[in-house]
Amino acid sequence: TMDVYFGWRHLSQVVGNKRMRMTSSFQWLLSTFILLYLMNEVNSQKKGALRDLKCVTNNLQEWDCSWKAPLGAGRGTVYEVCIEDRPRSCYRLEKTNIKIAALSPGDHEIRINSLHDLQSSMSKFILNERNVSLVPDTPKILNLSADFSTSTLHLTWNDKGSLFPYHSNVIWEIKILRKESMELVKLATYNTTLSGKDAVRHWSWTSDMPLECATHHVGIRRYIDCPHFSGRKEWSDWSPMKNISWTPDSQTKVFPQDKVILVGSDITFCCVSQEKVLLAQIGHKNCPLIQLDGGNVAIEIHNISVSANSGTNVVFTTEDNMFGTVVFAGYPPDSPQKLNCETHDLKEIICSWNPGRPTALVGPRNTSYTLFESFSGKYVKFKRVEALTNESYQLLFQMLPNQEMYNFTLNARNPLGRSASTILVNITERVSPHAPTSFKVKDINSTAVTLSWHLPGNFAKIYLLCEIEINKANSIQESRNVTVKGVENSSYLVAVDKLNPYTVYTFRIRCSTETFWKWSKWSNERKHLTTEAIPSKGPDTWREWSSDGKNLIIYWKPLPINEANGKILSYNVSCSSNEETQSLSEIPDPQHKAEIQLDKNDYIISVVAKNSVGSSPPSKIASMEIPNDDLKVEQAVGIGKKILLTWHHNPNMTCDYVIKWCNSSRSDPCLMDWKKVPSNTTETIIESDQFRPGIRYNFFLYGCRNQGYQLLRSITGYIEELAPIVAPNFTVEDTSADSILVKWEDIPVEELRGFLRGYLFYFEKGERDTSKMRGLESGRSDIKVKNITDISQKTLRIADLQGKTSYHLVLRAYTDGGMGPEKSMFVVTKENSVGLIIAILIPVGVAVLVGIVTSILCYRKREWIKETFYPDIPNPENCKALQFQKSVCEGSSALKTLEMNPCTPNNVEVLETRSTVPKIEDTEIMSPVAERPEGHSEAEPGNHVAVSYCPPIIEEELPDPAVDEAGGTAQVIYIDVQSMYQPQAKPEEEQDSDPVAGAGYKPQMRLPINSAAEATAVGDDVDKTAGYRPQANVNTWHLVSPDSPRSTDSNSEIVSFGSPCSINSRQFLIPPKDEDSPKSNGGGWSFTNFFQNKPND
Amino acid sequence: LSSAAPISPAEPISQAYSLALYMQKNTSTLLQTYLQHQGSPFSDPGFSAPELQLSSLPPAAVPFKTWHALDDGERLSRAQGAFLALTQHLQLVGDDQSDLNPGSPILLAQLGAARLRAQGLLGNMAAIMTALGLPIPPEEDTLGLVAFGASAFERKCRGYVVTREYGHWTDRAVRDLALLKAKYPA
Repeated sequence: TMDVYFGWRHLSQVVGNKRMRMTSSFQWLLSTFILLYLMNEVNSQKKGALRDLKCVTNNLQEWDCSWKAPLGAGRGTVYEVCIEDRPRSCYRLEKTNIKIAALSPGDHEIRINSLHDLQSSMSKFILNERNVSLVPDTPKILNLSADFSTSTLHLTWNDKGSLFPYHSNVIWEIKILRKESMELVKLATYNTTLSGKDAVRHWSWTSDMPLECATHHVGIRRYIDCPHFSGRKEWSDWSPMKNISWTPDSQTKVFPQDKVILVGSDITFCCVSQEKVLLAQIGHKNCPLIQLDGGNVAIEIHNISVSANSGTNVVFTTEDNMFGTVVFAGYPPDSPQKLNCETHDLKEIICSWNPGRPTALVGPRNTSYTLFESFSGKYVKFKRVEALTNESYQLLFQMLPNQEMYNFTLNARNPLGRSASTILVNITERVSPHAPTSFKVKDINSTAVTLSWHLPGNFAKIYLLCEIEINKANSIQESRNVTVKGVENSSYLVAVDKLNPYTVYTFRIRCSTETFWKWSKWSNERKHLTTEAIPSKGPDTWREWSSDGKNLIIYWKPLPINEANGKILSYNVSCSSNEETQSLSEIPDPQHKAEIQLDKNDYIISVVAKNSVGSSPPSKIASMEIPNDDLKVEQAVGIGKKILLTWHHNPNMTCDYVIKWCNSSRSDPCLMDWKKVPSNTTETIIESDQFRPGIRYNFFLYGCRNQGYQLLRSITGYIEELAPIVAPNFTVEDTSADSILVKWEDIPVEELRGFLRGYLFYFEKGERDTSKMRGLESGRSDIKVKNITDISQKTLRIADLQGKTSYHLVLRAYTDGGMGPEKSMFVVTKENSVGLIIAILIPVGVAVLVGIVTSILCYRKREWIKETFYPDIPNPENCKALQFQKSVCEGSSALKTLEMNPCTPNNVEVLETRSTVPKIEDTEIMSPVAERPEGHSEAEPGNHVAVSYCPPIIEEELPDPAVDEAGGTAQVIYIDVQSMYQPQAKPEEEQDSDPVAGAGYKPQMRLPINSAAEATAVGDDVDKTAGYRPQANVNTWHLVSPDSPRSTDSNSEIVSFGSPCSINSRQFLIPPKDEDSPKSNGGGWSFTNFFQNKPND
Repeated sequence: LSSAAPISPAEPISQAYSLALYMQKNTSTLLQTYLQHQGSPFSDPGFSAPELQLSSLPPAAVPFKTWHALDDGERLSRAQGAFLALTQHLQLVGDDQSDLNPGSPILLAQLGAARLRAQGLLGNMAAIMTALGLPIPPEEDTLGLVAFGASAFERKCRGYVVTREYGHWTDRAVRDLALLKAKYPA
């Protein structure tokens, strides 16, 4: 029953497994064959003949032919088998098969006689090789072994090659079944060629599933493809199965352990466990379990990702335990990058490289490197240093004597693979020396030094190329290359020449080889001062005669450092003529000037500079000055900080030209500096740090002849012109009614700061504290400007002015550098006497005319007047006193007279001012008004009361509307006199009073003349001024006038008319005339004012 | 052995106690550092595998009654034995980790420091035993031959058990020494 069971089991498996199609078709053939055989047997029985001769061979040498016995044939049947075309080839036998030697190709007739119970029957068969089947013997597995660590099965068997012709091809088919359920996991074919001898064949297979976790079964069969055999070839039977299983021998339960695999590959882990495995995980990730035989389970990991340093953990968890393994997923070593081999010293080769992509494998799994040199066969291994991650790795290889070419192969290897890089070098061309050490500098002479340094290394066979860097302060860095013969571990010497004496140099050096590969690092720097040499030139010398002409002052300039060649200690000066020589020796260095008293002026002066090594060649200069008669002073202005001087070539000048200069404000002998230029030049640019803008310098061009120097040109110049810093001082020389004469002074050179190009004179009508004065430049049309370009002109008369008018005068100087500041002054022109006379005469004439007309009218109408104003019996209705009462009751018209009151304070102030400040007024007319509003406002407290700046005409200011509010004066009068009428009459009264009060006014008319004269003469003593006294009189006169019986004033007359009546009577008396007459009078009044007030517009 | 009598046990007990307290502060850090370097599941938060034990390392867990009933000699010699085993195991774990985590100097330094402290505590305990006149157990190789050839996973587990037990034994030593301290006041 067991067999049956297995048989069923086997069949079902065969049917179920598609991969075993070969096997199943074979079995189908077999069963068909059996069926045919049975049918044939039935037929034979009928005939009583032999049937079905069938031949097979397993070695091609011998055929095994068999046939079916006829029906009824049993034991004791003898068969005679004869092969017709083979001599003596009949065999008697009692079996139904016969082994015959293989027949040659082609048809062969076989006769088989069967003898049974004296009955005989004969059968004939045609036998051909084509009908013979080749069925090889079943192969036998010699050995099946397993390498559990690698999950590899090793299979060996004997191919029995001796049985078959040489070079027959054999196909082996091997099947691997897993687990007790015999799941086919691998069906492999393996082709071999027979060698004519028996040979043991090997075949290995690596399982994806660790072999420990499941039993693996192996079987093999073969198929021989013999080329010369024309019959049918068939597979052998399967060999008996062999299996591999694992017997637990250690604690380990999970497989594989500590495996190193390539990132991205697939792997199966399994766990051998008696307990039920609940969970399997890799890293954080849970994996589905694959059940194996027993309690074993497996998991499959696809495309594994890279591991951390300590690997990826795979853990199987059971109820009360955990089992695990670690897998290391990484990469095979990258081929070493940037492999480079060089040497510092030709003793040791340093090969360095970059490992490339990290392998993610560390510790024992890390990449190991071996550097192999193929010419010598030597190698060195790299010692693992964990700290190195992706930095450059390096290996040292000891150089071999007499070998220059090195062929290095760097092998990298780790559990996942290997890689290599190669490099072929001529090591003498790959020398990168160490930095030179012990670098020293020694003097040879003042222009040459020796450099020495040490360079470790075996350079005996090559030349070194070294670069010397020479640095000098304030100079371009210089590099010089030297080639020196290499020596073994020694010092090198090289001379460096063409240096400057007494100069600090900084040297440093680096080396390479003649076949340049790399520079070494720079050596340390060394500073060195070269020794001194004699000065190469004499100092630049000039001389000046002292102002008295007796002493010669010799000047020289310190030698520049590149000509001094050392520290200059002293100078020797000598003056020699034909007869005598005077010397001054050992003048210590900081002194660059010497004075020698000389009897005559024809000497040759020579100056020599000395340092510790020796004296310079003398520089010579003649003392004589050759006079020049036609010398003009020219002007020049510089550009930037320079000034350009040009001159004509003069063939007489044989040695050189000298330009000396000095500040023009210094006294003689003056010398700031000088410059020598060769005799063939005709221009030079003078440049000096000492030049300042706005300072005037004198330049002198000397030409040199044999006998001495001749002054050729004298030039006054500025580096840059600036505007003057002061205004010209100017005064008013004379004033008339229509002109002013102004006179000014020169500006000192220091304050001019440029060449004076002219003056600008501005004038305009104006008074000191009016804000209109500001801004002369604003181009106002009423400012008149005169540009005085003749700088020798020192006076200016301004004509066509208005008389008795204040003028604002401003004067400023200018240079090409700009305008200087302003100086301003206020001047009042004298009064125009003709206009004044007219202004007086007309009102007087009008007044007289009115008086005459009035008198005539009064005379003619005296009866009517008497009736109206002075009747014998007054009409009460005409009485103004009654109307007054009425008016009071009616309204405010009467009160208008009182509206004058608010002006009273002004009047009081004006009066006080006049009496107290006459001095101020006078000083003000004189004071220069250079200062503008600011200064003015400061001075205000003092000036406050000086409302008018024209004291000479002060009483004309009274009628000035700004000042008078004239009611003020009237108010005073009103109060004193108790006259209600006075305020109303005031304008007329004033107008009229001018011409009438001739006695009071006369002094005033004289006043302008006097004051103008005195103003120029600085008339400070105001007390004496005739102009002032009348002012007081005028006031008195004003006060007195209304009552004065002497008054011929028309108003006075009206007053006398209206005096009996009340104030209101005035309105009735001359209403129309009152309106008109002030106007007409006002015209006369304003005619006078015309001169005075117009400027105030 | 007889020379032990004059020394007071209080001072070495106090020293050992101070050292044990100091060690106690670092044991959890050591365990955490160790686990972080071993990858998941060791490095997962809250990882614990009490089922993992090492036969060569005596467990620190003991029933309280048994522990309390121990006499001084027994108590000290158990601790002594445990820390002797721990020093050897810490050495082994250090070697394992220099293969598995060669690029983690912090972990290697902490393992080295723990080993040195355990050795220091051993010295202190020997001084106590000397002071108490107790025999000092001989040093023996607790690891034997089993240590070599372990798989990486076994090494990780072994290291885990060692660092865990180092903490447990340090905790126990603190209590042992506190007990002795109370018993032998200065």
